[in-house]
Amino acid sequence: MGAKPLLTPMRLTLDQLIDVKCCIRPLRAAGPNLSTETIGDTLVVHNYGHGGSGWSLSWGSAEVAVGKAMATLPREVAVIGCGIIGLTTAVVAQRAGLKVTIYAREMIQRTRSYRASGSFTPDSRVALAEPAGAAFGDLWEKMARLSWKSFRTYLGQPGNPVEFGDSWAVSESPITRRHWPADPAITESWRPGGLPQQNSEFAHYNERIKDIVPQPVDLSPEENPFQLPYAQRSSQMYFNFASYGHALLTEFFEMGGRFVNREFHEPGELAGLPEKTVIHCTGYAARDFWRDNTIIPVRGQTGWLVPQDEAHYALRYRNLSVLSKRDGIVVMNNLDASGHDLGEMLGVGDSMELPDRAPIEEALKTLQPLFVPGARA
Amino acid sequence: MSARLFLLAAVLVLAIAAVEPAPNGTAQGVYTAAQADAGAQAYAARCAVCHGADLAGTWEIPALKGRFIANWGRARLSQLHDYMGHAMPQFAPGTLDPQDDSAIIAFLLRENGAPAGATPLPIDKAALARISIDPVVPR
Repeated sequence: MGAKPLLTPMRLTLDQLIDVKCCIRPLRAAGPNLSTETIGDTLVVHNYGHGGSGWSLSWGSAEVAVGKAMATLPREVAVIGCGIIGLTTAVVAQRAGLKVTIYAREMIQRTRSYRASGSFTPDSRVALAEPAGAAFGDLWEKMARLSWKSFRTYLGQPGNPVEFGDSWAVSESPITRRHWPADPAITESWRPGGLPQQNSEFAHYNERIKDIVPQPVDLSPEENPFQLPYAQRSSQMYFNFASYGHALLTEFFEMGGRFVNREFHEPGELAGLPEKTVIHCTGYAARDFWRDNTIIPVRGQTGWLVPQDEAHYALRYRNLSVLSKRDGIVVMNNLDASGHDLGEMLGVGDSMELPDRAPIEEALKTLQPLFVPGARA
Repeated sequence: MSARLFLLAAVLVLAIAAVEPAPNGTAQGVYTAAQADAGAQAYAARCAVCHGADLAGTWEIPALKGRFIANWGRARLSQLHDYMGHAMPQFAPGTLDPQDDSAIIAFLLRENGAPAGATPLPIDKAALARISIDPVVPR
């Protein structure tokens, strides 16, 4: 076998670990709530419940919500919440010529959105196939395609708010896409409460946009820079939180946006706002604020290593992964405590939002030996 | 003010006090010290794991001191009680006892500088709805 191609190894050592963040994805069996209702004389347009796809669908979902809000010909709108959905919705409304006030408890830096991994994963726990129905698949595709176009306008911007990197997957055996057929031993289903019982209930839509999203290619041994015999490479789009958040906030304020620090406790309080058109974007918090118990918590966590600018790529092995971004290396361990791959079921129904460092340390220990020692580009 | 007018005013104040209207703000002493002590224990057992023994919260988790009063400043105690009842603790929502909710609120009020009074905070929603969360003078 010839010399392996050189790839600067990531330093996946514990001394590099500077943060462990945990957050809850707001999964709704039927997909995000994009419906409208009136509270007193106020129109409320919902835009929440995007599961693990909030970042990825943010522009398309904002387009839908703002479109509905504009049907009443408002001159100004209120946006409730300042995570990625709220802030993007506010900017989309401004680009449509509206005067926008965001009411939120926190700016984006302290929201759950900032505790995501920040990569383009538009069908991650976004809905369950059956309750979402075929119509949602069509809507999803529109939202995903529009978001993709919008993200592309940020490529090459100062600070690289959006970027592509090589994403390597390695294995002891040939790599195939994992399928989750329905397990007949599981007789419970997502009915009645919307809580999924097995992987086969989740909706998957990524096939619909594979004409634009880079797909993995198998690598020959000469192209494989890692210690394991099988490898694939694809190109992954990801978001650098710091510069992306800065870009959105800068546009919001430059276009005359107003931010009001405020927490709401009951839907009725929205009727007291001066804006009579309100777009509701509180994500998981809508479970309590709007009493939407169809929101299922799905816990997830990420470890963060010191940024390593010389190694901008991602590596995945057995559902453990590292993704090196400008704002740090994201470490994920998507196996359960006994090392089993639960797929999309990992974290379902779990609303414990305190981080647990052990699985992150485990992922680092497992991934570090996969690099060829001493390799430097 | 003449002595007569003063007397009249004093009688009026006493008359109003005699019918004991429900206090309408947390500045008026709406919980007892013993209730806040019980709340401190419940807080330590159920809340401190996330919000911290010192109620300071974290970057991700809301503090229950300081900004807490601002966040809930327009609210009624019934809303806070209700929220705790269905949303907290986040990892096991709906598992707090209503008595504990009231005790924990008493503890939070004390920690945020609201005075104790002679009557414990009730669990009755209508009674709680008559009490607003008042601003406090920082210590």
